[in-house]
Amino acid sequence: MKKIEEPQFDKRSIEEIIALNGRKPGALLTILEEIQESNEFKFLDREAMEYLSDRIDIPLSRIYSVATFYSFFNLEPQGKYTIVVCRGTACHTKGSKNLLDQLFLLPKCKGAFESGESSFTTEDREITVKTVACFGQCALAPVVAVDGVIYNNVTTGQIKAIVKKIEEERDNENIKL
Amino acid sequence: MRISNFDDLERIRKRGLSKIAPNKPFIGVGVGTCGIGRGAESLFDSFAREIEERQLNIGLKRLGCFGFCSEEPIVNIYIPNKPLILMHRVSENDITPIVLGVEKAIFPYRNILCRVEEWDFITSNLTYGRGYLEHPLWNEIPFFKGQKKIVLRNCGLLVPGDLEEYIGVGGYYPLYRSLFEMTPKSIVEEVKRSKLRGRGGAGFPTGIKWELMAKAVGDQKYILCNADEGDPGAFMNRNEIEGDPFMLIEGMTVAAYAMGASNGIVYIRAEYPLAVQRLKESIKEARKKGLLGENIFGTEFSFDIDIVEGAGAFVCGEESALIQSIEGKAGRATPRPPYPSEKGINGKPTNINNVETYCNIPVIISKGWEWFCPKCI
Repeated sequence: MKKIEEPQFDKRSIEEIIALNGRKPGALLTILEEIQESNEFKFLDREAMEYLSDRIDIPLSRIYSVATFYSFFNLEPQGKYTIVVCRGTACHTKGSKNLLDQLFLLPKCKGAFESGESSFTTEDREITVKTVACFGQCALAPVVAVDGVIYNNVTTGQIKAIVKKIEEERDNENIKL
Repeated sequence: MRISNFDDLERIRKRGLSKIAPNKPFIGVGVGTCGIGRGAESLFDSFAREIEERQLNIGLKRLGCFGFCSEEPIVNIYIPNKPLILMHRVSENDITPIVLGVEKAIFPYRNILCRVEEWDFITSNLTYGRGYLEHPLWNEIPFFKGQKKIVLRNCGLLVPGDLEEYIGVGGYYPLYRSLFEMTPKSIVEEVKRSKLRGRGGAGFPTGIKWELMAKAVGDQKYILCNADEGDPGAFMNRNEIEGDPFMLIEGMTVAAYAMGASNGIVYIRAEYPLAVQRLKESIKEARKKGLLGENIFGTEFSFDIDIVEGAGAFVCGEESALIQSIEGKAGRATPRPPYPSEKGINGKPTNINNVETYCNIPVIISKGWEWFCPKCI
């Protein structure tokens, strides 16, 4: 099993992000998005949010309210690869449930979604599975995004293949569906 | 170089036109999100490699989506003085026959979707050429039959984010006309008489909304564009921004002039990364050319646009929730009144319209309300 380093938050990059975005409209959202992006595991850790709250004078409760309201923000460390399955109406009728079922074969994944979670990360922090309401690609449903790249007319076979590929080539930066 | 008068605009229009209809052939690949999902990016690279290896004098362009997403990837073949040929479901295997066929004007038959002899860009007209009678015209095939492209007039034929091409088909002439030949009042009147209704779904008359906002008093007013489109099955805003970002920017600029606002914000979904990227680049380009920012067209009028990316909350498409989100709060809807035109972002008067509503504005200014709504006369 791979050793998992504990995530640390980086004060300097948070300072830079505040300096760059502090005065723009919608600043809090942008700042949180960028802090999350700058984190190695793509999530908002508690220390970072506390530090931010002190620096920009916004109560931690409000930052937490924003971070939990929007589905884009992660409060848990994310996997190296993210697979997002669209669960919009068009994708549903074209069988996106089957794609998700294929991913439910990952250990503990099914339980997490059934208990109401909207995202799941494997214990070795390799794969994160998420759902989204609609990518706006309905003419080509079902749609799946892997690391931000959108793929159309996806089949369960492709999902099976990519999970296998991720397990085999752990350090491949460029996994494609 | 900044555009500050009519001559500059004319000069760029000519340059743009020579890009849209050059005197050598080009191949255009539709690289919207839909095309990319079907492999248009790798198709584009393969075309580039093939053309380079064979040392052919053929241009290559990244175009927007023509509007037939299920038939992607769509590839346009342009040969001077011939109709534009649209090919569909193009795969890597078709590249060599297509590239070789361009010189002789012979194409793999099964890939041909339709031909375009002339195109009504609404702000201008372009005749590509006549011929190829064996292939159907674009509006003869069932999918396009009965369609009249107004908002999507440029999509799939122009390079998204290329300001010269946008001006080449008559873009930014409506803004010029608004600034130099019309008054804020007459613009609002024009929109009002066109009976344009909000394209976000509720259908509130845009002109009336603008009139309220124009009358509102405030040291700062906001023009807000709602691009937080999230309904399943709806992706027109994505297509509009990805295919022709300048029409939105121009529409918002005209709106700002009409309502006396100096700040614009586009609230856009983070699920549309390509649209965000193209809009950002286009805003930067417009600023460089003096069509956004201080003293637009060399006048006293100043206006700039910021982008706020949503963070995945469906409810933020509702206007009061959207305003909360821009203020950096959780997007919870608030009771109305007060309406945004009285108290919007940070308590300042705010006008919110959908992307498509703004996209209609340049057309209305260019052609007049009588053209837009013949029944209103």
